[in-house]
Amino acid sequence: MRMEEHRGMELADAAGIRYLTPGNSEFMETSGRMLSVRTGGEMHSPVYVHCSFPHTNQRSFLSIRTAGNKEIGMIRHLDDFPQGTASLIERQMKIRYFTPEITKVIAVSEEFGYSYWEVATTAGLCRFTVRNGSGNVKFAAENRLLITDVDGNRFVIPQVDQLSDKEYRMIEMRM
Amino acid sequence: MNLNFTLSDQDLAAVRQIVGGEIAYCVPADLSLEGRRLEGYLAIGGGRWAYVQDGQVRDHGDIAEASDYKLMPFVGNAVLEATENETKRIIVRVTMQHAARYGYIAQILNDMAASRPVRIYHDEADPVCAACGRSLVPGTRVCPRCMSKAAAFKRLLLVSRSHWRSLMLGLGVLIAASALALAGPYFQKLLVNAALVPPAGQEASVRVFILALAGMLFTLAFGELLGIARNRIMASVSSGIAADLRKTVFDRIQSMSLGFLTSQRAGDLMNRVTADTDRIRHLIQEMCTTAIYQLIILIASATLLFSADWRLALIVLLPAPFVAYLHYYIWRHVLHKLFHKQWRISDKANSFLHDVLSGIRVVKAFGQEEREIRRFREYNGEFAAAAIKSEKLYSILSPISNYLIQIGQYLVLMIGCYMIIGREMNVGELIQFSAYAAMIFGPISWLMFMPRWIANAVISMHRVFSVIDEQPEVIDAKDAVGHRIRGSIEFSGVFFGYRSYEPVLKEINLTVKPGEMIGLVGHSGSGKSTTINLISRFYDVNEGEIRIDGIDIRMIRQEDLRSQIGVVLQETFLFSGTIAENIQYSKPGAKPEEVIEAAKIANAHDFIINLPDGYDTRLEENGNNLSGGERQRIAIARAVLNDPRILILDEATASLDIETEAAIQEALKRVTKNRTTIAIAHRLSTLRNADRLVVLDKGRIAEIGTHRELMEKRGIYYKLIAAQRSMSRKSGSSAVVSPQV
Repeated sequence: MRMEEHRGMELADAAGIRYLTPGNSEFMETSGRMLSVRTGGEMHSPVYVHCSFPHTNQRSFLSIRTAGNKEIGMIRHLDDFPQGTASLIERQMKIRYFTPEITKVIAVSEEFGYSYWEVATTAGLCRFTVRNGSGNVKFAAENRLLITDVDGNRFVIPQVDQLSDKEYRMIEMRM
Repeated sequence: MNLNFTLSDQDLAAVRQIVGGEIAYCVPADLSLEGRRLEGYLAIGGGRWAYVQDGQVRDHGDIAEASDYKLMPFVGNAVLEATENETKRIIVRVTMQHAARYGYIAQILNDMAASRPVRIYHDEADPVCAACGRSLVPGTRVCPRCMSKAAAFKRLLLVSRSHWRSLMLGLGVLIAASALALAGPYFQKLLVNAALVPPAGQEASVRVFILALAGMLFTLAFGELLGIARNRIMASVSSGIAADLRKTVFDRIQSMSLGFLTSQRAGDLMNRVTADTDRIRHLIQEMCTTAIYQLIILIASATLLFSADWRLALIVLLPAPFVAYLHYYIWRHVLHKLFHKQWRISDKANSFLHDVLSGIRVVKAFGQEEREIRRFREYNGEFAAAAIKSEKLYSILSPISNYLIQIGQYLVLMIGCYMIIGREMNVGELIQFSAYAAMIFGPISWLMFMPRWIANAVISMHRVFSVIDEQPEVIDAKDAVGHRIRGSIEFSGVFFGYRSYEPVLKEINLTVKPGEMIGLVGHSGSGKSTTINLISRFYDVNEGEIRIDGIDIRMIRQEDLRSQIGVVLQETFLFSGTIAENIQYSKPGAKPEEVIEAAKIANAHDFIINLPDGYDTRLEENGNNLSGGERQRIAIARAVLNDPRILILDEATASLDIETEAAIQEALKRVTKNRTTIAIAHRLSTLRNADRLVVLDKGRIAEIGTHRELMEKRGIYYKLIAAQRSMSRKSGSSAVVSPQV
């Protein structure tokens, strides 16, 4: 056990990940509605919030990166930050990862190798077309169904087992 | 691509107040920062932009006040950004449906901000169906909702024209076969009425009995014979048509520009050549055998039924569609789903098995056997459970649905017997009648399934025809000439982008003398490979000209041009076949001594001659039985065999170790003598023989000169050299960049 801990330390040293904390960094919103961060005496603007686990854990291990894809640092957990900052970061993260949640499946029909979906989502009513096969409808995590339409828009059914029987029957054949 | 959407009157009025009179560009901006989809638009005109939604301008600005407009593609959405007052800002946010449009818009805004002429060269087709407005799938031109089945069938008929003789013969046989099939029940009636149960007052006739028996035997035997003939004819016709289609598709694919081909997945194209044409073959075969046969039987037996007894016919026919529909429903909605699910689970288990078995070394190395056994047990159990469930249901439902199909028969027998007792019908007529009634259910339930497989075949037809209809982007000019290349290359004012909103090369001016060796240097993505793609004319330039010996390459026949350019790429591709055949690929029919000479020049002769099979060595898939350096030298031999005047080396030695590279360098030194050579290399030592180096930076020529000149200039090249030197010092291999490069 002790040996494992010891090895874990070595891994962390080798990785050299820099964690941003409320103590060593300050996040701000720019006038252009983007995110900037001051850390280590340097100002980075704009920065983008990347998720390590966009499907299984959106609030942990967020990577703060520049437009040039350089990592400024990582946030271990959003809850480490005060409410205001956390929601600011979360809002930017939500801009990067736009995946409306499907709240109700209204109709799914299939024709000529494509399925046509009509669903109510957190972003409003959406109609989209999905190409059959090639992994466009797949489980991104246990019980979480990710649907990618022909344009590259993404939709997610967060809990497939919460669908009504009727809804489940409609999507069952598309999986 | 539509960059000028029409605004509603309300929106238009609001926008006009900001941008003035004319709107030059207008595209949907359909996503709010809060993540709601809405009907907003970004309008551009009069040097200003405005974001309008619901008749109100929510945001606007002067285009010239900001710079560096850029589309940032995120996950599932994209954002148009710009730099204003030295800070970045978001202008609008869009869903992926309109993201490609914003690539153009960003380009347009940048050009406008810098007061440059707006450069948009070719308009890519808007991937939205013109008829219904739904988005089209990238790579297809036909909307699956709006495509007409009739039109597709018409095309197919046109393709089948050359086979019409055998097609007609097949149809003739088909009609004869159905006539025979329909004659069967008639002989049955004769048999029963003449010999077994003669109507009251008549004697049993032995003659008619024998005649009826002979007739039944004849219809049976001859019907089978006709069936064999029909299947043989139709198989050859449909295979012939499919072969024609395959050939046409393959020819088409070969004539496509590299741009089209790289935008398609190889597997997808392969599918079109094989699977789709096969589905069409199947359709023709099915249509000309089963479909027409079933239709004839349906119509004929219905007519015969009605002429025999219309009341009985009604009893049979009225429930038939319902019963057939029920049968169809049970199959489609219950059984099919069950089997689909079972199939999916089995698929999962299979891919798990494939994974674990092909990665068995990893499993063993990490000692995870127990875990994999456990996982397999789970999948296996799941599969068994699903199989049991569907088999159970199938064992119940399948007899039920079959029984439903035959319920009409039961009714006929019931009423028929009743009529016989009432002396309205005799036994022979009942037997004939029920035989016709039995015939009619087959076609009806078959018709229920027909739309689905026709639909599948129509998709295949469209996929095949869409390739046939595709126009090659790079085509020979009408008055293109054959030209014996001497070797000078001239770029003048060349602009090029794979997508016109992203120019990869900007204003390239360069003259290469015959026999000169040019080294192309630059960071990845700076446009080096694009430059050489343009010399081979895999793409046409957007603006400017490339001239070889003073002739615009668009005026030289493509085949002529490319056969005189030798290419060696980093990833060599060797076909299966012998080494000699592979070297001969650039010049089919080359003599053995030529092959050996080419191999000698490429420093390949010595290792080939040491192989047990020499030049006859059969290469396995992509030459996997040779080392990387050996494959590369064969590729060089292949490139020089044809004695090309222009030689292109695209990272030809990048994947090799230093020693092998030295051997190949030596070969190249001989090869490039007296040939115009354009070489790309990341390892700058590779370019030590170059006469001049051209440094590309972000699509522009940043520096030109000899190694010495560029080192003295202390620009980009100097930094690259310095970076590589420090890298090689760190890694301890000093040979990577030699000081006398």
